[in-house]
Amino acid sequence: MSKPNIMEYSYYPGCSLHASAGEYDLSTRELFKVLGIGLTEVPDWFCCGATPAHNVDELLSLSLCAKNLELADKVEGDLAVACAACFSRLKTTQHVLAESDVKRKQVEKAIDAPLKLEGKVKHLLEILATDLGLERLAAAVNKPLSGLKVACYYGCLLTRPTDVTNLDCVEAPTIMERVIEAAGATTVPWSHRMECCGANFTLSRPGVVIQLTNAILDSAKAAGADCIMVGCPLCHGNLDIRQKEIEGVYNVEYALPVFYLTQLVGLATGLGPDKLGLDAMIVNPTPLLKEKQLL
Amino acid sequence: MKKKKMIISQETMDVDFVRKVEALSGTSVRRCFQCGKCSAGCPMGTFMEHPPNRVVRLLQLGQWQRVLAGRSIWYCASCETCSTRCPNKVHLASIMDALRKLSWDAEGASKESYVQLANKLFLQNIRTYGRQYEMRLAAVFNVKSGQFLKDLMLGPKLFAKGKLKVFHSKNKNMSEIEKIFTRIEEMRKKGEAL
Repeated sequence: MSKPNIMEYSYYPGCSLHASAGEYDLSTRELFKVLGIGLTEVPDWFCCGATPAHNVDELLSLSLCAKNLELADKVEGDLAVACAACFSRLKTTQHVLAESDVKRKQVEKAIDAPLKLEGKVKHLLEILATDLGLERLAAAVNKPLSGLKVACYYGCLLTRPTDVTNLDCVEAPTIMERVIEAAGATTVPWSHRMECCGANFTLSRPGVVIQLTNAILDSAKAAGADCIMVGCPLCHGNLDIRQKEIEGVYNVEYALPVFYLTQLVGLATGLGPDKLGLDAMIVNPTPLLKEKQLL
Repeated sequence: MKKKKMIISQETMDVDFVRKVEALSGTSVRRCFQCGKCSAGCPMGTFMEHPPNRVVRLLQLGQWQRVLAGRSIWYCASCETCSTRCPNKVHLASIMDALRKLSWDAEGASKESYVQLANKLFLQNIRTYGRQYEMRLAAVFNVKSGQFLKDLMLGPKLFAKGKLKVFHSKNKNMSEIEKIFTRIEEMRKKGEAL
């Protein structure tokens, strides 16, 4: 008989986690199972609109998010969000609609349902660092990531803008470092942890992504990191999927595996590679993990 | 456009447009005192003909045609660094959103077609499927932009790693999602929303 969960959340995976970031979804579910945290996926959730929606149509973006928040409200528990972009859009919607009467009325009309803006929206990092707490997280670690030097990459939307996500300090956050240090890893200080990777220009203008992401990889390598840890599927795509191409363009070798935070924390709790989706990573992490005796 | 001399007069300043930008973005263009922090931190500044602080300055002077004509607004990555660092609470990322919306409404006012095409296909995908159909998004983008070979080498690799899902099912609540789109269209027709 399994133990009852210590916490329960509703879960909004976001589109990427059902496609190109399947390993983020898998490792999240497996890790949370180990930690005794229940996740109930919001039925019929749909796209939050991400950057393209607010880029050209704020009202649409707010309405899509408000409807998703209404769907999430029907499920017990605070809303757990894995993707940094979904997290940012849902929290921005709560923030904007709490401040503007005009926009609130427009959105209410567009979704033809009462607004549910009070529910708490939390990124997985917050759940691990604050709700569960670093002590309980450390207690669940039975294979510490000793000797693994991790560059924690925040990207844009986990912390910015001020007063919206309230995840951590907007210029010098430490939440990712605190979480992965609790799992026994070493973190490196580096310059580009909050610089933009080029995000969705990967589709329209890949040249932009190659230039910006190269600077990030270069900075992580120079800081002596073995790998990079992220909490956003789009950052992951740019750093991992495009890494080989970037190495070719700039004639350098990075060979930096890019892990989702749940993959690394999961590894520390003793989860096997098949439960973390390590085989889905483009930059193969196996040689590094074997060298550090983590596999 | 870049070399054309700028003449500031009652005739060339369009303040109505700027008011629309302020209403949509919920932020004041006039608060900006041109310190340049936004441009200093902007990761995309090198790709723009008008860096962020100049976009705001041009708006203050009512010269919006100059802003919309270029690709600057379409090269903003919405990283929010400018809004975060502004010492006088100008939410520049929201101003960029408002400018793109107004440019979008004016249909083809900008030269930057690839970014606009990507946005359009992304939104169409939500309306058709509910959740993003990544593979279709990339494939249709390549066909419509005429770059049939773009990222071709990535395809098989992603497929082998299970990152390209060929089949994608529609949401069960598609009619509800469609209603959000149509209600917004109706509100705009009636002039109830910008």
